[in-house]
Amino acid sequence: MRRDSSVKPPRSRTMRPGLVVFVLALAALAQAQQSFGVPSNQPPNEDFYVYKQIPDVAIETGASTAMRLSKIWSEKPLLLTMVFTRCAGVCSAFLRSLRAAVSDAQGLGQDYRIVVLSFDPRDTTDDMEMVAESLGVKLDPNWIFAISSAAGIRQVAAASGFWFQWDPSAQQYDHPSLVEAIDRGRVVRMLAGTNVPRASLREVIQELRGRFVPSYALAGKVAFRCFEYDPNRDAYRLDWGLLFMLLPATSAVLAVVWAFFLHRESPPKPYDSSSALIR
Amino acid sequence: MIQMQAFYVFLGVAGLLAAVFVYTIASTRRARDLDYHTAYALRRKLLYVLLAVLVVGLGMTLAKTPYPRDKDIPEQVVFVVGKQFSFGISASPITNDDEYLAATYSTPVQVPAGAFVEFRVTSFDVNHGFSVYDPEGHLIAQTQAMPGYVNRLRLRLTQPGRYRVLCLELCGSGHHRMRGVFDVK
Amino acid sequence: MASNAVVLFDESEMIRFRRMTVIWGITALVLLPILALLGYFMRLFQSGAFPQIRPEWFYAVLTLHSLGMVGTWFVGAMAGVSFLLLKYTRPSLAVSKFSFWGTLLGVVLLIVCTLGGLFGTGWYFLYPLPLMSQGVWQPWATLTFFIALAILGVCWTVWTLDILRSIAQRYSLRAALGLNYVFGEPGPEVPPLVLITTVSLIVGVAGFVAAVIVIALFAARALGVNVDPLLMKNLTFFFGHILVNITMYLGVAMVYELLPTYAGRPWKTNRVVAIAWDAVLFLILFAYFHHLYMDFAQPQWVQRFGQICSYGLAVPAGVVSIFGTLALVYAARMRWTLASTLLFLGIMGWGIGGIAAVIDSTVEVNSHFHNTLWVPAHFHTYYLMGVVLMILGFIDHAGKEISGLEENPRRSKLTVILLLIGGYGFLSMFFWAGAHSVPRRYAIYPLEVAQGTEYARIAVLFITVLLLGVLLYLWETGRRCLKALSA
Repeated sequence: MRRDSSVKPPRSRTMRPGLVVFVLALAALAQAQQSFGVPSNQPPNEDFYVYKQIPDVAIETGASTAMRLSKIWSEKPLLLTMVFTRCAGVCSAFLRSLRAAVSDAQGLGQDYRIVVLSFDPRDTTDDMEMVAESLGVKLDPNWIFAISSAAGIRQVAAASGFWFQWDPSAQQYDHPSLVEAIDRGRVVRMLAGTNVPRASLREVIQELRGRFVPSYALAGKVAFRCFEYDPNRDAYRLDWGLLFMLLPATSAVLAVVWAFFLHRESPPKPYDSSSALIR
Repeated sequence: MIQMQAFYVFLGVAGLLAAVFVYTIASTRRARDLDYHTAYALRRKLLYVLLAVLVVGLGMTLAKTPYPRDKDIPEQVVFVVGKQFSFGISASPITNDDEYLAATYSTPVQVPAGAFVEFRVTSFDVNHGFSVYDPEGHLIAQTQAMPGYVNRLRLRLTQPGRYRVLCLELCGSGHHRMRGVFDVK
Repeated sequence: MASNAVVLFDESEMIRFRRMTVIWGITALVLLPILALLGYFMRLFQSGAFPQIRPEWFYAVLTLHSLGMVGTWFVGAMAGVSFLLLKYTRPSLAVSKFSFWGTLLGVVLLIVCTLGGLFGTGWYFLYPLPLMSQGVWQPWATLTFFIALAILGVCWTVWTLDILRSIAQRYSLRAALGLNYVFGEPGPEVPPLVLITTVSLIVGVAGFVAAVIVIALFAARALGVNVDPLLMKNLTFFFGHILVNITMYLGVAMVYELLPTYAGRPWKTNRVVAIAWDAVLFLILFAYFHHLYMDFAQPQWVQRFGQICSYGLAVPAGVVSIFGTLALVYAARMRWTLASTLLFLGIMGWGIGGIAAVIDSTVEVNSHFHNTLWVPAHFHTYYLMGVVLMILGFIDHAGKEISGLEENPRRSKLTVILLLIGGYGFLSMFFWAGAHSVPRRYAIYPLEVAQGTEYARIAVLFITVLLLGVLLYLWETGRRCLKALSA
């Protein structure tokens, strides 16, 4: 559906109520066009999109008007996230956490680049440059801020479980936050949530570098792990599990101290082997 | 087949050890004093040989693990959930019991021959062992299905046919009849 | 003699200690055929002999047989070692008796919850399986099981601590760990028995504490705490690996102590022996990682370290203990009796089982062998043909010494031949089945691994031969022990 409809309203005065209805209908349709996907309380689940191909859509950046996503991912893997510039909600916080996690994980430029794509058809490349500036990465060539056509946006959104819904009362889009790791055009990891945990992103970058992560823990309340992720500090902290693992050897040391130092008479008395009653 | 290779290595080394023991028993027929110098020299040789064998063994095998550093991206994900007493195997994620049951009873997942596949394995209750048996009945790979964790097993299956999944971790009275299946075409 | 020298035991105390040892020996000799018959039942079940019996029985018997055997040979080794230690230290008879009654009680409770309650988790009761039986065993059986474990754990920990205490009365820590030998310093003579026992029991304390933590965390889970299954697996296998390995090391210690008297040559601690066993003290704490190779959630460096430590343990075992045994006996004026033959062949079985274990501790190989019949193959080898033979050798030795009953050489020879043929034949079927992808702990074999049924049938034939050997041994040695009881 093209946003700029070329249907002209009839000129006859007698058609005015019909015109109003038509315009209203058009407005409603336009609003519906500004929404895509199925809203949900849960963030998109990586399992549904992993290893799927991202469509090679045409994008526009401040530097170039005609570029394709494949040009970027053919050179290096990329992290892709979708925002809109008039966002008063999670977008800027998410981008800031992404930037922090990226600087923590390192490798930006050598191992991967970042594409921040707007899903709002109103956004221009100038708008995106302002976001880049406010994030402090305007001069960083590895942060690519881009826009695309409405069709292109929908294709990319569909391939990643991304959805957005226009909320007229707030004049804002409702949408999840996610960043995907794309290697050679395929989604290899996806992190969804309100912020980007540094530890998770480190793992994602590892996979982009070719280091396979053979297992991951499912979310859920599990007690006594060795290391537990603390979302407040965005880091892993020692948990009771590690203490339990160290306790056995510690107890052995204590037993040795008890037997050999605390309990015995010191020094040990020599014994009279002639009185030993076994051969 | 790696199992048979390992078996023959075992047979060879164990046979050698047994032969040495038999030889030693036989040697007691002609008793004499032990020459400690020779014995210690022999022991030193044994130490070097054993260390060499172990180091070479480590060098040859330590890098090879079932968790590969592959640069390839899997073409397909197969989701596996173990639960007493069957494996739900599906091409789409299994997030609850209903999907697990559907996956257990649905037609087997099809995997293209030669495709690089990633199995994402977890359990909904106790520890199970997800094991892959090729159409000839050889165990080719396995990983644990642990509740609360997803283990990723990557395989490239070239031989077409029906692959069986058996449970390789005691999980209750139905352990021996717990199965799964998928096809490689 | 020095005026402040201490006499270890007076005569009546010595007689009571000997009696206690004989009682332990008889206990082991009573449990052996019962538990072996349970094993016989299992292999028969797997050969398809009991289609009308529900598989729940197989798993209950499996649990009893495996825990029973692990427990029997642990207490057998402990009893043997504490008897041999009488020459050097003074373990407590009261603690030995306490352990005896506790062990009996624990065994009874185990029999009740498995044969009575169909508790069937296998010996390592992997979390959270004991709590999720699908109705096969009731909560009372689970509770009884953990009470049994707790009783056994408490008794055995106290016994372990007592023996350590008794060693500490005579040897400083430095001496007991052979450090005087390692650093070439003057010090008392430390027999290998003391060195190996010290190393094993220090590690044993760690193992028992791990079991305590596991039991406590099971209680936490029963109260609703969702304990991390990976932690539980680590603790469970740390405990199990240590318990099984120190049992074997204690058996090996008995060989170091007893075989020299048969060979007419000494076997003393020296620098190499001390370094070897101190290395074991470190390596054994980390080798247990080889039980978790197929848990990809473990950090990868941990997996590789586990392989390195597992391989490393082959060095002290092979170069010092096995070579030492061979050098001791080679061309010696060897008195080949039933006891000395069993002690000697026990070391061979320990070595062969160890070779299979090291092969399986290679991560890449483990992918294909983990939880197949290769696993029971290797541990039955170093148990049945390893430490069990060593302990049976010790019991025969002690029984003969105390009772004075001579042995019949032809019967002894026949016993050994039956045990070897039956034992190694039975084991060969496990190894062959493991090499042919047959899973372990299967009550019956599905079509995909139907060859397992065939192999089980052949194994049954060999077990029959093995059991004949066991019965012959029991007849000979059992008589000696009963006579020794009244000596």
